[in-house]
Amino acid sequence: MKFFFILRQTFNNLWRERTPVVATVLTICIALTILIALFEVSWTLYSQLSDLKSNLVIEVYLDPALSEKQAGTIQKQLEQYNTIERIRFISKETAADIFREEFGENITDILDENPLPISFEIRLLPEYNHPGYMSLFKKQVESISGVDEVHYRHAVIEKLEQLTEAIMVSGIFVLIILVFAMNLLIRNTIKLSVYAKRRQIEIMKILGAGNMLIRMPFILEGAFEGLIGGILSATGLIVMHKFIASSFSLVTFSLHTYKLIWVYTLSLGILIGLLTSAGSVGKFVNKIFSKK
Amino acid sequence: MIQFSQVTVNYGYVPGALKDINLQLRDGDFTLLIGPTGSGKSTLLRLIYMDILPSSGTVTVDKWSSYRISPRQINVLRRNIGVVFQDFKLIENMSVFDNVALPLVIEGYRRKYIIRLVRLLLDEVNMLQSERQQASTLSLGEKQRVAIARAMAKNPFVIIADEPTGNLDREASRNVLSLLERIHQNGTSVIMATHDYELIKDTPYRRIYMENGQILPPDRTFSPLNQRINLLADPQ
Repeated sequence: MKFFFILRQTFNNLWRERTPVVATVLTICIALTILIALFEVSWTLYSQLSDLKSNLVIEVYLDPALSEKQAGTIQKQLEQYNTIERIRFISKETAADIFREEFGENITDILDENPLPISFEIRLLPEYNHPGYMSLFKKQVESISGVDEVHYRHAVIEKLEQLTEAIMVSGIFVLIILVFAMNLLIRNTIKLSVYAKRRQIEIMKILGAGNMLIRMPFILEGAFEGLIGGILSATGLIVMHKFIASSFSLVTFSLHTYKLIWVYTLSLGILIGLLTSAGSVGKFVNKIFSKK
Repeated sequence: MIQFSQVTVNYGYVPGALKDINLQLRDGDFTLLIGPTGSGKSTLLRLIYMDILPSSGTVTVDKWSSYRISPRQINVLRRNIGVVFQDFKLIENMSVFDNVALPLVIEGYRRKYIIRLVRLLLDEVNMLQSERQQASTLSLGEKQRVAIARAMAKNPFVIIADEPTGNLDREASRNVLSLLERIHQNGTSVIMATHDYELIKDTPYRRIYMENGQILPPDRTFSPLNQRINLLADPQ
């Protein structure tokens, strides 16, 4: 009977304060959608970045005049770096084979000679696969006598890293504002409900109702707002997922099943609603009755 | 038993809402608290259900003492006391049934028991036919009868009635008084505050006269301002 009483009071509160409840639910929905979308975008960018980094090679081109024996000496110098995972030696002939594979033509047929230099493909250890070390490594290797040029696709990595960082920073900024707004709105709805029910609370206190029975309907009200916000957010995210997956087939999602989206959004929504309302209802009840 | 020992109540910076009250109310008595508005009757009653605690002195209600009582114990005490107010304190948007059921819901009784008991109580105050009606649609007399049914729901050892007839016409007032008398006849103590001297002038119950936050000694009458009223109230 107590349980049904609490439940009835909860829905009563929600119906009585329906306009602020709608505003709160929408804010929770937007905040959760942004939170999960931000997590998804960051995760996607991060995994793309990791893929790119793990496949990244540094190409070291030697002076075309160098013989294979001289190239061997340079290889020995490079092998002294303990930041290198492996070095692949590419002779002039191998370079010509690669050219033929990539362009379908024999370079010696076009130029009568093979101008391609001896080179090395260097893969760094994963912990050194970041632009900071790579540019230092590039400078050091370029200073070795006989090395003509050092190449790696740093621009792409740097751009991707900057993009990830920018999304994270702006996302966190927006999120802080939204969490603040969400908190404010939930607290405001609870405050309105408590104020509207002040007489009922007073009567219940006189009849000997404990704090839990008085506060529980308001706490559940917050949780319910979180639940509805979570349902709306999950629906929106699933629609977005479907659209992105059909438009960009290469994009992978961290929350790869709809079940996961439901679990994350609903549990986050309920938790936020529950904690905010539980944290504020006692304060509002005490405030109203201390004025008497 | 309810006992007041050297009880003083000050509201904030306003001293002397009650001044040095010593009083004993025995179990099973019907006690009338008589005095003009502002004499301290309501303050004295609020001390019994510990809506306020004394600034000094001690109030003892059954096994509970204001000297050492926790908020949780106050809730338990209130569940053993029935309170009736001048403004009824019903939840207006709830049905008559739900209002009477509220103390039983708070206590956590089972649904079947609550339905049976509430109907019995409503029948007792002649309100069973209105059980589904919203409290806001009742007449003032009906509201007070519902409030009395609610106060009886927990079979309290005492019913405190703070000006229960204050808002009622003569006939409704008599009905409320006779209801309280019936409750008293069943063994429950009743403490009723009133300034409706006409209503109680022929009743045989113990009277306590209050003025300016003090209980007047038996050999003293009200101040000249209240003299006429005192004479009206006392049947002797």
